[in-house]
Amino acid sequence: MALSEEQVKHVARLARLRLETGDIAQVTRDLGRVLDYMTQLNAVDTENVEPTMHVIGLAMPLREDRVKPSLTAEAALKNAPDPRDNMFGVPRIMDGGDS
Amino acid sequence: MRIYEMTAGDIASKVRRKDLSATECMEEIAERIGRVEPSVGAFLHLNLDEAMRQARAIDNLPSGERERLPLAGVPVAVKDNMATQSMPTTAASKILEGFVAPYDATVVSRLQHAGAVIVGKTNMDEFAMGSSTEHSAYQLTRNPWDRDRVPGGSSGGSAAAVAAQMVPVALGSDTGGSIRQPASYCGVTGFKPTYGRVSRYGLIAFASSLDQIGPLARNVDDASLIYEVIAGYDPLDASSLRVEKALPKATDVSWANVRIGVPKQYGSSGLDASVQARLAEVISRLESQGASVVEVSLPHTEYAIAAYYLVAPAEASSNLSRFDGVRYGYRASGADLLEMYENTRAQGFGEEVKRRILLGTHALSAGYYDAYYLKAQKIRTLIRQDFEQAFAAVDVILTPTTPDLAFRFGEKSQDPLQMYLSDVYTVTANLAGIPAISTPAGLAGGLPVGMQWLGPIMGEESLLHIARGFEKLWPSEGWPALGGEA
Repeated sequence: MALSEEQVKHVARLARLRLETGDIAQVTRDLGRVLDYMTQLNAVDTENVEPTMHVIGLAMPLREDRVKPSLTAEAALKNAPDPRDNMFGVPRIMDGGDS
Repeated sequence: MRIYEMTAGDIASKVRRKDLSATECMEEIAERIGRVEPSVGAFLHLNLDEAMRQARAIDNLPSGERERLPLAGVPVAVKDNMATQSMPTTAASKILEGFVAPYDATVVSRLQHAGAVIVGKTNMDEFAMGSSTEHSAYQLTRNPWDRDRVPGGSSGGSAAAVAAQMVPVALGSDTGGSIRQPASYCGVTGFKPTYGRVSRYGLIAFASSLDQIGPLARNVDDASLIYEVIAGYDPLDASSLRVEKALPKATDVSWANVRIGVPKQYGSSGLDASVQARLAEVISRLESQGASVVEVSLPHTEYAIAAYYLVAPAEASSNLSRFDGVRYGYRASGADLLEMYENTRAQGFGEEVKRRILLGTHALSAGYYDAYYLKAQKIRTLIRQDFEQAFAAVDVILTPTTPDLAFRFGEKSQDPLQMYLSDVYTVTANLAGIPAISTPAGLAGGLPVGMQWLGPIMGEESLLHIARGFEKLWPSEGWPALGGEA
């Protein structure tokens, strides 16, 4: 199942990864080769096989929803690229512009 | 014997008895690292001042407390994808350059509570994606046996640090072989426990259903000692097992009672002649001890690489979405939020990481999920069932750890698929969740050869016992010289 360059651009958008125009052909070839290799899985009949989501088969663990002490705002913001007023600063969400 | 040549077990028992001070041990380790590290490049971060401080604290403990520490004064290296407050944690990625975690991973605090001294963080393939440590954004790590060759990966720095005798033990993480393959290439012991045995809290997630932390060491006893400290239920990791861990018996192995399976599918294409020859020698030595060696069938092994390289990138594409330039790490500029995300991730991630994010995003995307991700998870069930059937007839399965020996820098990095195929013997243990250990079986042409032992789910006790028995049958003959011997 080879990929087209359009599909690669679509996947890159989904993944929030900017691809340079010059790299798209190479990325498409690399991914295409890997996906070609994956087509061998089609030879296996999995009609009546359950997927393995968890190897140990534990029940979904539940816990009490209790408020407990956690990281302070200061510790949580220590690595932030743009801490502002005890919050994480980000560029504008719409209409362009840097602040 | 020099301190740097000692096992973790010997160091701990001497420090407990005050026959050796933790400070003296750390001083010699620091000196060894100073001499050897420039030619190996195993560490991304060292904090020897903090290590000396920890060592002094252990020496100053009241003797009653010190005597209870299973790892008293033992220097340990930790792979750079495990959170530490005393040093940066970058997963060898530019996107986390300078990041200092606000908490310690559970394995790190367990080591410290046991008296271990964390000396540094080891190099790796970026986000643990790779088999040579060449995908680190920062530096190459050289194989101590031949410095023109890779140490393997992704835990290449941890394996090289142990083989170069800079530390007796190190932690690695294993998603598709990332502990066992570098252990094999560097001639050390590398152990991946059953999925869920060791808490993943504070481990930077790659593929959450496959990731497991484990030790690299110069013998099986040291690997068991570290395993004993780090394994166990952790409320901070909901997938960690509540089952009691069992440790290997101290007795010798009676080989006449051991049934060893050798998969008939594993001897096929791509297996290096010297590795194949060594496997045959190992089998005949085991048989001469009275072990019964039988052929077992794992028919779905041939699909393991394809299934693994769908499941792991799919989970990675989801886990790595958190690196977006908002809360930590690198941030690129951008006209708006979306552009900032796209630029940050394009500039912050390396080529292999981007390749896997794209592959995984595609495998999970609308219209492809059933054909790729779900199909791979079904193949995973068949691989698990293969092992369940095999373990009904044998106690342990023996394979080479890798189809080849340590390769030269650049030899495989141009061809992603070629690099993926070298994981053929290791990925099945992660897909099935079973424990596996790589033990050295001598050298071939000056390069280490590793044998892999696979056991059933939660079968660590017997697996470690057998691996230690093999170590006695096939002892390692010394360590690489590195020109640093005083």
